[in-house]
Amino acid sequence: MLASTIPSPPNSLDKPGTIRVFDFALVGIQLVLLLLLLRQFQIESAAFLRLAALAFGGFAIHAWLPLRYRLPFFLLLSFAGIGVVMGFENGAWMIGIGLLLIGICHIPVSFTLRGALLLLVGALLAAQRAKLLPFPWSEAIWPILGSMFMFRLIVYFYDLRHEKVPGTPVQALAYFFMLPNACFPLFPVVDYKAFRRSHFDDDAYRVYQVGIDWMVRGVIHLILYRVIYYYFTMAPSEVNTPADLLNYLVSNFLLYLRVSGLFHLIIGMLYLFGFRLSETHNRYLLATSFTDFWRRINIYWKDFMQKVFYYPVVFKLKKLGATKALVIATLYVFVMTWFLHAYQWFWLRGTLLFVPQDILFWAILGVLVVLNSLYEIKHGRSRSIAAKKRTLRDVLLSIVKTYGTFWFICVLWSFWTAETLGDWFSLWGALHGDFSWQVLAWPAVVLLVVAVGSIPKETLRNIKVSAQEESEWIRSRIVTVVALIGLILISIEGVATRISPNIATIVHSLRSGQLSRLDQAKLEKGYYENLLSVDRFNSQLWEVYTKKPANWLDVDNANLKRFNGGFAQTELIPSFVSRTKYGDITINRWGMRDRDYALEPAAGVFRAAVLGASSVMGWGVGDGETFEALVEERLNTERPVVGIDHYEFLNFGVPGYQPLQQLVAFEKAMQFRPNAVIYVATGRELSRAAVYLAEAVRKRIDIPYEELRQIVQRSGITPEMEEAEALKRLTPYRKEMLNFVYGSIAARARASGTLSILLFLPQVTDGSWREETADTLAIAAGAGFVIIDLDDLYKGRDINQLRLAEWDDHPNTQGHRLVAEHLYKGLLERREQVFKTDRIHHAQ
Amino acid sequence: MNTEELKQAIKNYIIQEFLPGENPDNVTDDLPLISSGILDSIATLKLVLFIEERFGITLEAHETDKENMDTLAQMVATIEAKQK
Repeated sequence: MLASTIPSPPNSLDKPGTIRVFDFALVGIQLVLLLLLLRQFQIESAAFLRLAALAFGGFAIHAWLPLRYRLPFFLLLSFAGIGVVMGFENGAWMIGIGLLLIGICHIPVSFTLRGALLLLVGALLAAQRAKLLPFPWSEAIWPILGSMFMFRLIVYFYDLRHEKVPGTPVQALAYFFMLPNACFPLFPVVDYKAFRRSHFDDDAYRVYQVGIDWMVRGVIHLILYRVIYYYFTMAPSEVNTPADLLNYLVSNFLLYLRVSGLFHLIIGMLYLFGFRLSETHNRYLLATSFTDFWRRINIYWKDFMQKVFYYPVVFKLKKLGATKALVIATLYVFVMTWFLHAYQWFWLRGTLLFVPQDILFWAILGVLVVLNSLYEIKHGRSRSIAAKKRTLRDVLLSIVKTYGTFWFICVLWSFWTAETLGDWFSLWGALHGDFSWQVLAWPAVVLLVVAVGSIPKETLRNIKVSAQEESEWIRSRIVTVVALIGLILISIEGVATRISPNIATIVHSLRSGQLSRLDQAKLEKGYYENLLSVDRFNSQLWEVYTKKPANWLDVDNANLKRFNGGFAQTELIPSFVSRTKYGDITINRWGMRDRDYALEPAAGVFRAAVLGASSVMGWGVGDGETFEALVEERLNTERPVVGIDHYEFLNFGVPGYQPLQQLVAFEKAMQFRPNAVIYVATGRELSRAAVYLAEAVRKRIDIPYEELRQIVQRSGITPEMEEAEALKRLTPYRKEMLNFVYGSIAARARASGTLSILLFLPQVTDGSWREETADTLAIAAGAGFVIIDLDDLYKGRDINQLRLAEWDDHPNTQGHRLVAEHLYKGLLERREQVFKTDRIHHAQ
Repeated sequence: MNTEELKQAIKNYIIQEFLPGENPDNVTDDLPLISSGILDSIATLKLVLFIEERFGITLEAHETDKENMDTLAQMVATIEAKQK
């Protein structure tokens, strides 16, 4: 519908920014609901909820201020937002650095000199970001500082050079420090001119309403993202069949929903303060060509590149002819996109990004867009002002094009996001796997979405909201309110449970921003391998890592371990003592994190050897605070079993030890003639066993166990093989491996008259990690272990009170006390089996 | 060439090149052309080349944005300012 034929808007455009009380109340009610929705689904972070409360509260004042005071008020609110999220000191540093950068843009010298000064200060900050120079502020401010200035400064400087009417200082400050940015390292590249031009250029009520629409849409994107992230993402090593492959390709691409969701939230929030900015994404899953995809996804980026790089080159080269100029400029844009992606990576993460997939991805996409553009130059592109009547043939053709583009982009995206090229190539081996009906699942879902999305609708985008057709306007209101209320209702446990227990379980999982099972595994891997280079697209895991202080306790760097050249590779250094902020770490002469013990147990002593990894060793707690030390102490205090004079629990826990390495720890433990061996499993025993065997083969470590050597031979893994491929080949042997580990330990213990106990210790996290628990417990029971299953230990408790930190899921002192209490109870419940006094005599 | 003739010439070109078959009445003076997606970067470049050739002016890269070229009215104002 044409703008000129649209009925008058409900609020007067003669008085910009005005809103009727009734309309304001409607907006207010929706904002309260939205805040509730953000809280119910824990959207992003607790800091974002605080920021949203500040923004919505600020809106209530802002909407009634005289227009001239609104931008200064927005600026004050933005500063307050920085303070709320970053704290006073860091916030002050951030604002100070920002003022310096903006100030340089306005020094009364030539533009060249100002540009040189900006580069100089930028280089100094880069040296600090790379930790080549010291800095007095927290590391946490870098990603936000980077997101505020790395691109906006380029846009600002460009506009400053060309603008006829300079902006005011308040406009400039509001542009750089704009309110929602304090929470979001990934932020759309808002254009400075658009930021200024769009401020209350339309009916205020309708602008506010559109802001709410977009924020609700953003929340829906983020919830869908969680569905994909929690339930569909796979590691390349898990892709074994064509159905897996299609799932991998689609879910990998759909993780982008997080970016589109966040951008909708951000721009929607800016609408509440009168900034009627254009859309950031336009149904990017429905692109009909590569050029169309580039135009629809992250539109602000495309506009930024067009303004700062594309047009200047095209205008310089237009004498060569439009086609040549266009080809060169487009390729230049993609080279710069690659470069700026690496530049963004540096400011956000502090490391350099130079991976072949990145370069190849942008090169391939650039060439495809150029070819597509040349086609459009020759054949034109279908455009219309109002929705055109389309024939069935047109619709079918559109579906075919969209469907083809979607799958091509999925493949290209998988290439881009693969950790290594080897990982990506290993994916395609899945085509030799079994075809099942499940292979049709994603193609059918995608076809349905594409078909529905291809229904013709209004083609004009970003027109003024006051010019929107009334029926369309009412439809948007209904959709938003129904979505708001529907999502809030389903987030209420009582309501979801009444629909179905399965739905309730899924909704419950979607209500928190936890790590997926893959990222949880990577986080665990990170403890052991000092893995700070999280893969490039793992934004959630990266956000967890960014919160980790630089001086966080690190076992490798603390020199607790040494290499011993054996199958287990490392061991704790005997007689090592270290003082950490969580207490002392003392390693005894035998290489145990424990007090000193004699090799032979004394008469009347019950001795247990505890095998495990960092949770057993006591990562992040002091000597004597580990659960095994606490149980030992309590048993010796209470002496609950007649005939046992003393109890000794020997801690054989070594950080990073996987199930296969426990075989080595077990051999060592048996030298101390324990009455019981307590094997502590914390989840994912099967995959950890496979990971370690793959590592041993890759590092060409001698494998002293015939059964494992046979598995290596049968699976065909080699030292040269990519990890993903090796893990894929080991997948069918995972249970066999764990059977071997548990069976060997139990059989050897039995032969020595030692009781084997498997203590299942849950991880102190909300993330998903239980997928291997049932198999683990079944294998342990089959091998003859006595099982003490503490799986429910943390249920109904606040895990934040029990773990070290968000980025470190080990139990803290309180967590260890809780484990000790339940282990003590578990042991005494099985006292007849565990504390057999005839074994004590045997031990003497 | 007066303002009306100038506007008509641009309008005709836009309809002929980018909106064939469109009712000319729908292309109003304030119809957003860039921000609504009718003129993409390729179309904008073609239009700029037409304007430069037809009206004997030279446009700069920064003048092809939504502030100067989004609507017919803005285009006419930009061209007339250049011609002065």
